Amino acid sequence: MKAVVSTKTSNGSAATTPAGEQDAQIIEFPAGLPGFEGCRRFILVVSDELKPLAYLRSLDPPEPSFLTVDPLIIDPQYDLTLREFERARLGAAANEPLVWLSIVTILNGTATANLRAPVVLNPRRMVGCQFIRDDRDYSVDFPLGKA
Amino acid sequence: MLVVTRKRNEAIIIGDGIEVRVLRHGRDGVRLGITAPTHVAVHRQEIYDMIRAANATAASGPAAVQDLVQRLRDRIPQP
Repeated sequence: MKAVVSTKTSNGSAATTPAGEQDAQIIEFPAGLPGFEGCRRFILVVSDELKPLAYLRSLDPPEPSFLTVDPLIIDPQYDLTLREFERARLGAAANEPLVWLSIVTILNGTATANLRAPVVLNPRRMVGCQFIRDDRDYSVDFPLGKA
Repeated sequence: MLVVTRKRNEAIIIGDGIEVRVLRHGRDGVRLGITAPTHVAVHRQEIYDMIRAANATAASGPAAVQDLVQRLRDRIPQP
């Protein structure tokens, strides 16, 4: 399994930079994730066998790993606009390419995607945040069928 | 717990630059206006709890996902 930093842009073009997992680039989550507030350092792990899924793995205890997927694969109309304060938290300029990830949950063999609280990464600054979209009525457990 | 009484349009200040103001109150609830620095996230508690629970469930161990992987690949338009 290889760790890469994906710099996929919202218009669909993609570029990946392979790296050994040991020296995978660390993405800082200044606020952690809800429920994992102490998890500040993450790496994004992609592999040929799991594409288009990727693992977002924390290096901080309890070292949780999250399966993620590009929300545009699930909903091609998915709204990729951030509010100004959200953009500021990522240190992102207007139109800066960002990486959007929906966390996938596997429960009893069934998969769902969290479209309500996407993880957004700014690859230029290697910083990420999970935003809760109070402005849109997206599902927290959008059904993806059998895992 | 600190308990304070506020009238309409009165506010409390928390720490550095967080203001919570009572805009309106009635039988249906209290409407609050919150001003906070951009690095402070403000959420309705039940929504935050829902996302926290979703993350906790998502973080549990590795799973077999080959069917899902194939179905997602089928969704991606071929060039």
